Amino acid sequence: MGERVGISVTRRRLLAMIGQTAGSAAMYQAMNSLGFAGASNFKEPIELRGAPSGASVLVLGAGIAGMVAAYELRKAGYRVQVLEYNDRAGGRNWTLRGGDRYTELGGASQECRFDPGLYINPGPWRIPYHHGGMLNYCKLLALPLEAFVQVNNNAYLHSSQAFGGKPQRFRSVKADYQGHVAELLAKAAHSDLLDAEVSAEDREKLLASLQNWGALDKNYAYVKNFDTSDRRGFAQHPGGGLSGRPVLSEPVGLNDLLQSGLWEALPLCDFYDMQTTLFQPIGGMGVVGQAFARELGSLIRYNAKVIDIHQDERGVSATFEDRAASMTRYTVAADWCVCTIPLSILKQIPMNVGQPMIEAIAAVPYGAAVKVGLQFKRRFWEQDEQIYGGITYTDLPITNISYPSTGYFGGGKAVLLGAYLFGPNATEFTALAPQDRVKKAVEYGSQIHPQYHEEFENGISVAWHRSPFTLGCFGMWSDEARARHYDNLCRIDGRIVLAGEHASYLPAWQEGAVTSALDAIDRLHRRAVAAGAPA
Amino acid sequence: MSGRTATLTRTVRMRTAGVRTMIAVLLGLTAVCGVQAPVRAQSSRMFFAQKLTTTNGAQIYQHICQGCHMPDGQGASGAGKYPALAKNPDLKSPTFMALTILGGRSNMPAFGAKHGAGAMFFSPPALTYEQVAAVINYVRTHFGNHYSGPISAAQVEALDNAP
Repeated sequence: MGERVGISVTRRRLLAMIGQTAGSAAMYQAMNSLGFAGASNFKEPIELRGAPSGASVLVLGAGIAGMVAAYELRKAGYRVQVLEYNDRAGGRNWTLRGGDRYTELGGASQECRFDPGLYINPGPWRIPYHHGGMLNYCKLLALPLEAFVQVNNNAYLHSSQAFGGKPQRFRSVKADYQGHVAELLAKAAHSDLLDAEVSAEDREKLLASLQNWGALDKNYAYVKNFDTSDRRGFAQHPGGGLSGRPVLSEPVGLNDLLQSGLWEALPLCDFYDMQTTLFQPIGGMGVVGQAFARELGSLIRYNAKVIDIHQDERGVSATFEDRAASMTRYTVAADWCVCTIPLSILKQIPMNVGQPMIEAIAAVPYGAAVKVGLQFKRRFWEQDEQIYGGITYTDLPITNISYPSTGYFGGGKAVLLGAYLFGPNATEFTALAPQDRVKKAVEYGSQIHPQYHEEFENGISVAWHRSPFTLGCFGMWSDEARARHYDNLCRIDGRIVLAGEHASYLPAWQEGAVTSALDAIDRLHRRAVAAGAPA
Repeated sequence: MSGRTATLTRTVRMRTAGVRTMIAVLLGLTAVCGVQAPVRAQSSRMFFAQKLTTTNGAQIYQHICQGCHMPDGQGASGAGKYPALAKNPDLKSPTFMALTILGGRSNMPAFGAKHGAGAMFFSPPALTYEQVAAVINYVRTHFGNHYSGPISAAQVEALDNAP
């Protein structure tokens, strides 16, 4: 492209072009709405006051939702105890570090062999700046945050089916896509194609904006020149002196670009939850769970596998097996219960709530996801390719490679996220043995970074459907299920209220867990106050 | 939210209807289960997985089912459990199995396209009627199960279309 092709762009072709863009945007909107997204309704820290004298609450699950609930209810004056299946707090808020051992369902056990200071977050790994609930608790717990690099224009977009499998820089795909689309629209605006939509006055502004947006030349063409290289990158970057003369780069043609499919990844940086600035706690996401656990101390009983939940007009009791003591059974009781057990597990636990809540609990299957962390001898992505944080997207099953947003320029070893899969790819990776997932992540990743062959040292994989404490990654609501069951899931049933990411419109996000817990305990507290002091 | 999801579903349907020819490719994953036949087709979308194309029941089991039901069909138990398929009396009924695989049951997601499988990038893979029949017939005759009376793809399809 770039040479004049005349004003031969038909309206149909133009609309098809725009349709492709809109289709992609629609996909990501849906992706956002369902699994990975959105704003939070968190407004300000909650201040519950005046728990009825002697009132108690049993919290099931010491993940983010459970610990937020326990923390705030204790502050309000309730006697609180927490039961947790694992021998650690945090749930999916979790960081794997060197020396950690993880045994998945089926018995396969992995030891994390990362060097000191290196880690992988198998679950949540980033906090958008507008997830005010999570940020509030990070502040309360005095956890320092650092920037999480979501968008890196120098990371890659890669398709095994395009450009000979050679990864393209995000920067050049974005520049070329914008440039070509701007050029097409300028052609349409110059003809009478847009006359119905754009007034003559606006047409001049539109043309100017297209030139500005797409780096078009004075003829409204997207061509090889300094301006386009200044967007997409130079073949040789400008420098000083005699050797510093820049060499311009050649834009990729429209046809190649469209056929590559790489444009699908472009809107990723535009979605609300992916927009700068995002954060991560220094030292790994799991420090949040650890800090909460320190805060709550002996309130949490670990290794407690809940097997029965029962309520009557006087209170709630939970029976659990102590996994650290030959599954000895105990029963604990309280006036009220906040249950944050994932629905995948809760649907298997007898609990006498009404039919609407039972049906709601049964209505949500859990989404599949797999993450693989890989340790390398050196930060070749920085040293060889100038990629500092951010994410490469690929059509290979590994889907993502994410470079660490910390420890830049370090001379030693480093860990990157070598795969983050969901959907069918995750389902199939889950079916592999843990070491085979790592092997596959290395094989696929080496198509993008050939340095893998030389530099790879060790890896660890977490397939969420093999996780003993969740049996899946996140509550996968269909629109139909949400319309029918969501409110029934969230409503207090007698003395029991549910909370967690599954009881939110922010599935899979920690912010969903936080805001769900705050919403639930606010309602529970009102009910408890109305009921008065326990008999 | 519902509108947006519906938009996506429509988009995907239009997009997959022959924008590109599906090319069967042999991928490394086959080595894991020691089988040489092609098992999947190239996706036409960047973030949509390559479709599993094999109609071999053992391969389908190894690529999908064993993620939860485990390679030996024994299921697993943690805070909750996945049911064992080995010596499972529920497997006596291929109809029960077909309905479970197509539409999901309790924790098990739906693998039938009519029930949302394969619709979105994070949905479970959609299996064809032939694949569903193949994996049922495999499971009912392995892991210590010796049930007679295989189910056909046509029977699975009829079940899926039953009112």
